[in-house]
Amino acid sequence: MLLLWIMAIPLIGSFAVLFAGSTVAKGISAVVGAIELIAFIILLAHGPVSLNSRWIPVWGVRFHVGADGLSLFLIGLTAVLTLMAVLASRGSFGRAYFFWILFLEFGMVGLFESLDLVLFYIFWEVILVPIFFLLTGYSGDKGRPAAMKWLIMNLVGSLFMLIGIVAVAVIHAEPFGSLTFEISQLTHVKLNPVVAPWIFASFFVAFAIKAPLWPFHGWMPDAYREAPSPVTALLSGVMSKAGIYGFLRIMLPLFMPEFRHYQLGLLIFAVIGLAYGAFMALRQTDMKMISAYSSLSHMGMMALGIFSLTAAGILGATFLMVAHGLIVGGLFIILGIVEEKSKTREIQILGGLNEDAPRLGAYFLFFALAALGLPGLPGFVGEYLIIQGLVAHNIVFALIAAVILVVAAWYMVRMFQGVMQAQHRANPIGDINALQVGYIAPLALLIVFLGVYPAGITLHAVPSLYHAVHLAALKGGHGL
Amino acid sequence: MKASVGLLPEYIVGISILVTMVAAMIRPHGSTLKSWIALIGTLGGLWATIDLWTKPVHPALFFNQSLTVDNYSLFVNVLVLIAAGSTLLLGWSGEREYDEFPVLVLISALGMMSLGMVANLITLFLGIEVLSLPLYVLASSHRNTLGGEAGLKYLLLGAFSSGILLFGLALLYGAAGTMNFVNFASVAHIHSPLLAAGLMLTLVGLLFKLGIVPFHMWIPDVYEGSPTSVTNFMAFGTKVGAAVILLRLLAYGFYMSGPNWGPVLGYLALLTMIVGNLLALPQNDLKRLFGYSGIGHAGFLLIGVAVHTAVGAKAMLFYLLPYGLAVIGAFAILTMMGNKESITIQDLRGMARQKPWAAALFIVFMFSFAGIPLTGGFVGKLYLLQAALFAHQPGLAIGLVLGTFLGLGAYLRPLQAMFRTSPGESNLKGWNVGWGHVVVLVVALIGTVGLGVYPTPVVHLVGQSANFFWLH
Repeated sequence: MLLLWIMAIPLIGSFAVLFAGSTVAKGISAVVGAIELIAFIILLAHGPVSLNSRWIPVWGVRFHVGADGLSLFLIGLTAVLTLMAVLASRGSFGRAYFFWILFLEFGMVGLFESLDLVLFYIFWEVILVPIFFLLTGYSGDKGRPAAMKWLIMNLVGSLFMLIGIVAVAVIHAEPFGSLTFEISQLTHVKLNPVVAPWIFASFFVAFAIKAPLWPFHGWMPDAYREAPSPVTALLSGVMSKAGIYGFLRIMLPLFMPEFRHYQLGLLIFAVIGLAYGAFMALRQTDMKMISAYSSLSHMGMMALGIFSLTAAGILGATFLMVAHGLIVGGLFIILGIVEEKSKTREIQILGGLNEDAPRLGAYFLFFALAALGLPGLPGFVGEYLIIQGLVAHNIVFALIAAVILVVAAWYMVRMFQGVMQAQHRANPIGDINALQVGYIAPLALLIVFLGVYPAGITLHAVPSLYHAVHLAALKGGHGL
Repeated sequence: MKASVGLLPEYIVGISILVTMVAAMIRPHGSTLKSWIALIGTLGGLWATIDLWTKPVHPALFFNQSLTVDNYSLFVNVLVLIAAGSTLLLGWSGEREYDEFPVLVLISALGMMSLGMVANLITLFLGIEVLSLPLYVLASSHRNTLGGEAGLKYLLLGAFSSGILLFGLALLYGAAGTMNFVNFASVAHIHSPLLAAGLMLTLVGLLFKLGIVPFHMWIPDVYEGSPTSVTNFMAFGTKVGAAVILLRLLAYGFYMSGPNWGPVLGYLALLTMIVGNLLALPQNDLKRLFGYSGIGHAGFLLIGVAVHTAVGAKAMLFYLLPYGLAVIGAFAILTMMGNKESITIQDLRGMARQKPWAAALFIVFMFSFAGIPLTGGFVGKLYLLQAALFAHQPGLAIGLVLGTFLGLGAYLRPLQAMFRTSPGESNLKGWNVGWGHVVVLVVALIGTVGLGVYPTPVVHLVGQSANFFWLH
């Protein structure tokens, strides 16, 4: 029941916002977000749960949801960042905006809870819709093409994934007799070598587009730049994790032999993305774009961890998902505040804001340092584990990843210097107010907590991961 | 079972045709009595259909094996009566000046209902003609050049296709010596050129009605020129009638020769899905857009026939329902925009601000067309994908996905237009919402979202209806 409530609270809340009207929309959304967070804390105390009931029996589609170590913290990440995004949004956006934000939360929570492929696919496409409307209705002139690009690229991936899903189920059904879409059942499927690469590709491309991983990131720059900053925070903080989560939840258990077969290619592909994102971030002068490309680079990092197919690497990716979500979400919210106050995002125009807004500068520095992977903060923990996994598999990739981490420090410091230090070039701005500190400070504390006590996540995640990976390893022929 | 019991829905509709006709004659011009009678007749037919469903008296054959009442025909009755009822409601105020409107809608609906029951060649042709003739008149009931052109084009091409169909049926009879579908099964596997030619011509006639590429040319012009409520009827009802008779004919009469006609229909389905949706992309007139997207949807439906399996039959029958519900919902919004001759994408500008609820409903129906989850359209496409892949036809599955994708591009343009601010004066001046619109919208919304969230009961019903167990 708890799982259902976690799904239902944002859905009910979203319609409540829609019917209540624009003046109270932000207030109601904030309350709904807070209730969702409390529900998550209850879930966390409760431990792993799942619910499995019939839905469309003729097709073997089941309403199977669960929260285990893999998904539990992503649900938490969704709850935290949605609340942050609501608080950081302008109330003047009106009820439709907050409706879509809460509807997005419903979709994301549903996605992370799903353990049935049809259910997963439903939420996978449902989350496209709110983002599409948030981009269409609440961004600048370039928002509309960005929304189109977002929807079209993602749909190409996901529609082919739908063929993949049905194909896996049908191939599974033919010897076993009955149709099922449950991930745990489908792990027994034996794909013949002719269709296996195609089905693997159909899933892989869909997840890579959503993350996004290089070279499937075409929608990303426009969408991240044009969206209002709270929406960008959700996009990069939560939405992008859906793709990585798909690799962990669906592809590892189903396609271990294919992963082993294509491992070298996948690693090269991920490492190119890692480097590409980092160097693109170095070239940008728009602070939102710097963060966007740094996010792309980090996605490559997580992919590297998964594709190393080592326990440490996969655990690192799992941890980094949550850590990066919190950090980059906070970073985009800070950037949004800077943009709102100074009306520009160009680091060549900005400068010296530290003097006007010392508190804002301090939080900016904190999130920038967290994003570059400062030891003691959670980004470092995830990256360390991933590099450990890479060393175990192939030290060349570990070396490249370590070099790129230096570039990460370079572009983040460059952004901080451009915006906060040096001389004043723009008009002076006011500092953040108590309300803004009120929601940014707890987020920063949470990040610090995860940095010094990563076991809070890894202790939960290891058993679930072990289960998923163990199943996969059985299929792949040798353990991790 | 007596024919008076088994054919009760058709009798009720038939009687209400006569009563409506009398009412139209004795009441003054513009009275709503005739519409009320027609609507009550539709609801009565629906009630009788549901009543029959619960009785264990079917399948049954009537009139020398020319009509068969089974779950399949009853399911078709429901679809057709939803289409007819929605058309009556949407045309309630707009078409009031045409006294013949409700009568013609009911006659055409009777033709569609009979197509669900058809079991021999004569009733097949009669059903097609009873469906078509009133539509020729309805199509031209906008008394202007566009309407006249639509009606004439429809009449000429329709008569041409009827001729082809009739010729095909005659050849079939000549080759097989029987009129009944079930008797074809014993002769249909014999390789007779006459039989093959007859089947080919019959299929061409039926595919024309369904709007399959390359027999689709009439659809956009006729849809554009007809009054919006009539377009609604054609988009839903005609497709139901043509699709179900195609499935019945092939599944009963020619199931042995599936390997011969299956690939042909498969390639046509592929072509139709791609071409229909591709041509929908650049359309500016919304009725033309729905015309082309309807062609694309006909291609999706044809997958279910082409794969020639029981799953395919069920998937096709299922898909008709979410498609039809989205059609009546979308057309309800179009009729609310005033009784204009053509509604373009630009007319939708500013709708999201001025009429947010109507815009939200329009989004839901467009998403159902596009197959976005939580709407019925997605579940229908999932069913068709299963049908294609169970039949080992990945090509059809990829075609379905590509068609869906192209279609989505077409549906997004009106959606984005709604979020643009309208230049100058509002385009929504003729906005009128009657109770009929509200009823149709509520039915369409509940149906669309209900099918998307919990399709199990309908999947179950469809499983009973299209239970062509002899197809594997």
